Amino acid sequence: MVEFTLWDIVRNLGLAARWTVALSIVAFIGGGIVGLLMLFARIGGGRAVKALIAGYVQVFQGTPLLMQLFLVYFGLAALGLPTSAWTAAAVCLTLYASAFLAEIWRGCVDSVPRGQWDAAKSIGLSFTQQLRWIILPQAGKIAIAPTVGFLVQVIKGTALASIIGFVELTKAAQMITNATFKPFVVYTVVALFYFALCYPISWWSKRLEMRLAVSGR
Amino acid sequence: MKQTFLRALFAALSLSSVAAMSGGAAAQNALDDIMKGKEIKIAIPTDFPPYGFVGTDLKPQGLDVEMANYIGAKLGVKTELVPVTSANRIPYLQTKKADLVISTLGKNPDREKVIDFTAAYSPFFQAIFGPKNVNVKSAADLAGKSIAVTRGAIEDGELTKLVPATADVKRFEDNNATVSAFVSGQTVLLATGASVAGNMMARNPNLSVEYKLLLKDSPNFIGVAKGEDKLRLKVNEIIADAKKSGDLDKMAQKWLGRPAGDLPN
Repeated sequence: MVEFTLWDIVRNLGLAARWTVALSIVAFIGGGIVGLLMLFARIGGGRAVKALIAGYVQVFQGTPLLMQLFLVYFGLAALGLPTSAWTAAAVCLTLYASAFLAEIWRGCVDSVPRGQWDAAKSIGLSFTQQLRWIILPQAGKIAIAPTVGFLVQVIKGTALASIIGFVELTKAAQMITNATFKPFVVYTVVALFYFALCYPISWWSKRLEMRLAVSGR
Repeated sequence: MKQTFLRALFAALSLSSVAAMSGGAAAQNALDDIMKGKEIKIAIPTDFPPYGFVGTDLKPQGLDVEMANYIGAKLGVKTELVPVTSANRIPYLQTKKADLVISTLGKNPDREKVIDFTAAYSPFFQAIFGPKNVNVKSAADLAGKSIAVTRGAIEDGELTKLVPATADVKRFEDNNATVSAFVSGQTVLLATGASVAGNMMARNPNLSVEYKLLLKDSPNFIGVAKGEDKLRLKVNEIIADAKKSGDLDKMAQKWLGRPAGDLPN
């Protein structure tokens, strides 16, 4: 049998953590862009557009990410459309994150009192100007905490991508555990890795919130 | 929950791939494609020592991995190893993301409905293991005891058939979770393959684990997509030759510590 030293375990998990980071970044950027577009469409769009986006959000919030990954990777291939693991993961994480972010941000925009819209309109601002100068700055501040909370979930959620063959942090840990039979050591190191990824983001968001709270007064 | 969903999805996938096949979309061209592309994609386990597990460089090794490379070499093509788990290895095959599955795959009627099998290439048996001070002589003795098993594995099916209703069967996603549960004392007994148990025992001599009850003798077969007869027959030829030349015995001896023995075709 192979013998893993603690350094071997940490080193290999560190290498695998690159995938966790890469998948998270894809989810953040893709989800952020698509989520923002959907937010705008939902605020400014007609009844049909709103219903369409609400449906989209319900579908992706109401089904597990694991199933979405599985269906896009294997389901499309079964229908004769081969997708690479990367494409499948990028598409799924983008769809999944955008649905949640669109909904979180819509709530934040809704929480800005209606009077702010009316006041902005009364001084002659166009719709885009109302959004840009009055609503989004206020909504943005409210959005920081729930957005970061969700992003931290996404980082941990990337572990699900192992079903379509990604050897990211969690999957690598499983493989190493099976070669070493030292689950406690391996999973403790994994937990530390996840913490090291998630904690700085939470910390940074706290800082940001505090700074914005002061400047807003 | 998650597992029920997965099961349903597998079923849906098998149906759709059967539909695709009956529509003539999947002709028997896997072997030609492999020879043309000079590459064969073979699904192997990475969580199942000594059949497939990782070294300190996270590269797969083991009996299944060696067999995969052996077949690639005999075909004269490059072998691309595709790491799979016991839950997703059949979808990989059905959706042509792998040409062959060499992943301690046992043959059962449910699986035969959705994929085809070559001749057997290595021996395997599943059993129940437990500490020396726990008395298990027959299936009836399992009553009231907790047993860890990997969901969807052959031993899961066998165990389900014979356990008394009062036994507490705890199912886990992969072998590593199953073994971890047993080693950490979450369950009293462990239902698994002999090789996994052998490793676990060697690593944890303090648990004084022993063999309790045979679940099933089930040699491993290579999985081929349904209807790919040309590829299947070619692989069968390679296996028959390897059996004759003693290569299969050598591989089994190297990884399992015993010859391949008499394997069914």
